[in-house]
Amino acid sequence: MGNPERLVGAEVANLAAAIERAAADLALAEEPAGFTVALEGEEDERRD
Amino acid sequence: MTDWTIATLARAIATRKISPVEATQEHLTRIERLDGRIRAFITVDAEGALAAARALETELMAGRSRGPLHGVPLAHKDLCHMAGLPTSCGTRTREYFTSPLECTAVARLREAGAVTLGKLNMAELAMGPFGDNAHHGDVQNPRREGHCAGGSSSGSAAAVAAGFAIAALGSDTGGSIRLPAACCGVVGLKPTYGRVSRAGAMPLSWSLDHLGPLTRTVGDAATILGIVAGYDRRDATSSRRSVPYYEGMLETAIAGLHVGVPENYYFDGVTEEMAAAVRAAAHAVEGLGVLVTPVRLPDPQPLVDVCNVISRSESAAVHARIVRDRPHELQPAVRARLETGFHISAHDYLQALRLRGRLTREFVREVFDEVDALVLPVIPEPAPVLEAVKAGTTDEIVARMGRFSRLTRPFNGLGLPALALPCGLAADGRPLALQIVGRPFDEATVLRLGHAYEQATAWHLSPPRPSDRGESVLD
Repeated sequence: MGNPERLVGAEVANLAAAIERAAADLALAEEPAGFTVALEGEEDERRD
Repeated sequence: MTDWTIATLARAIATRKISPVEATQEHLTRIERLDGRIRAFITVDAEGALAAARALETELMAGRSRGPLHGVPLAHKDLCHMAGLPTSCGTRTREYFTSPLECTAVARLREAGAVTLGKLNMAELAMGPFGDNAHHGDVQNPRREGHCAGGSSSGSAAAVAAGFAIAALGSDTGGSIRLPAACCGVVGLKPTYGRVSRAGAMPLSWSLDHLGPLTRTVGDAATILGIVAGYDRRDATSSRRSVPYYEGMLETAIAGLHVGVPENYYFDGVTEEMAAAVRAAAHAVEGLGVLVTPVRLPDPQPLVDVCNVISRSESAAVHARIVRDRPHELQPAVRARLETGFHISAHDYLQALRLRGRLTREFVREVFDEVDALVLPVIPEPAPVLEAVKAGTTDEIVARMGRFSRLTRPFNGLGLPALALPCGLAADGRPLALQIVGRPFDEATVLRLGHAYEQATAWHLSPPRPSDRGESVLD
């Protein structure tokens, strides 16, 4: 069995690296509420 | 009992072939007889259910009907707060979660005439895709004893499959409605994020939590959704969109729709039997006039990472007290997953939330400009053996959990509606299942496709049955 603290540290480091890579080219205007806009905006776009 | 649906029972009640009290009593008797083995319930409220059934019967006698749920016995996951009943959330603590008001979805069902039989077993804190629970007993798959019921809404799926309840509510943060539905051979719907209020239900991860129905047919899922969906001022994320009449749209022809079958990721590592059943289902839908083509989906890995960062961070915040004060009460894998969340930085959490918006926008545009819905597997293999999924070190178990939910989790990140429904049986009788994913708030198309497929096949009519070796829990 692995050392639990080491495993937590490794998982956190892996997640942080993955997020850092993916977020490298995020637009400055991107904000958390963009998710809600992506969902709620869909119907309006199709109605137009 | 396993043959009733909301539709058939409602008809029988309306025509006085069976009364609400008789229907409720029959279900309670079956629970009493069989749940000692299946472990679907944490709390059975026989007294409350019979009192409600008697009141509903009086209303019927007076000529008043509340609609299709009048007198229909349901039960709900033990993370929904209901007045007068404890809410353990699958923990050792009898009243782990309290709320000043009843769970909105449960209250709407009750108002619509449903009888509540009790509270259903679940993975501890809704964290686990297999349905094992060290405190309340591992939920057995009614189709195959010794096999997983799936989780985390394990009791919800098992109760519906076993004939203990006509339908049930579950919650889904990474697949927790769809995974058990697939394992137990019932229907499970995760609606669009914001479609159904989560008020009065234990949060696991606010950004990813959804409530939805588990039922025996797609039509029943449409009925329940039509009742529980809609704006609720008690849930800040609930959408103000109007609720379509889902039941009325079920029979609308599906010919002319365009369905995509993913050619990347979603069939990787899926057993041949499962993959073949899902492809056969797509072929069956094609036979109904739907255009079915392969589609290449955006790489889901960034989305999976985003989901993991969000769910770990938020669940650690919500459940910090039990981790810090009573860690010994938690199952090791649950504790390990929660502890990770304490070490994720605010920077990474916020970047994940920002990324989620972009990934969702890109997915919706790229995929749904081309197709109306996706057809793919729910689980990579039929319900595994319970003892096998619990074996190994904590990190092995956590990794196994991630693999089993990898086909459902991305759609929590994207917030899209996703329906799981039966599409066959493995050679040994374990259910095989199909997932249909649609545009945001387009549950209607997802349900129409599922209903048309269901009507063209008969998998939803396969009752739990003894296998050749008599291994079904039910006889």
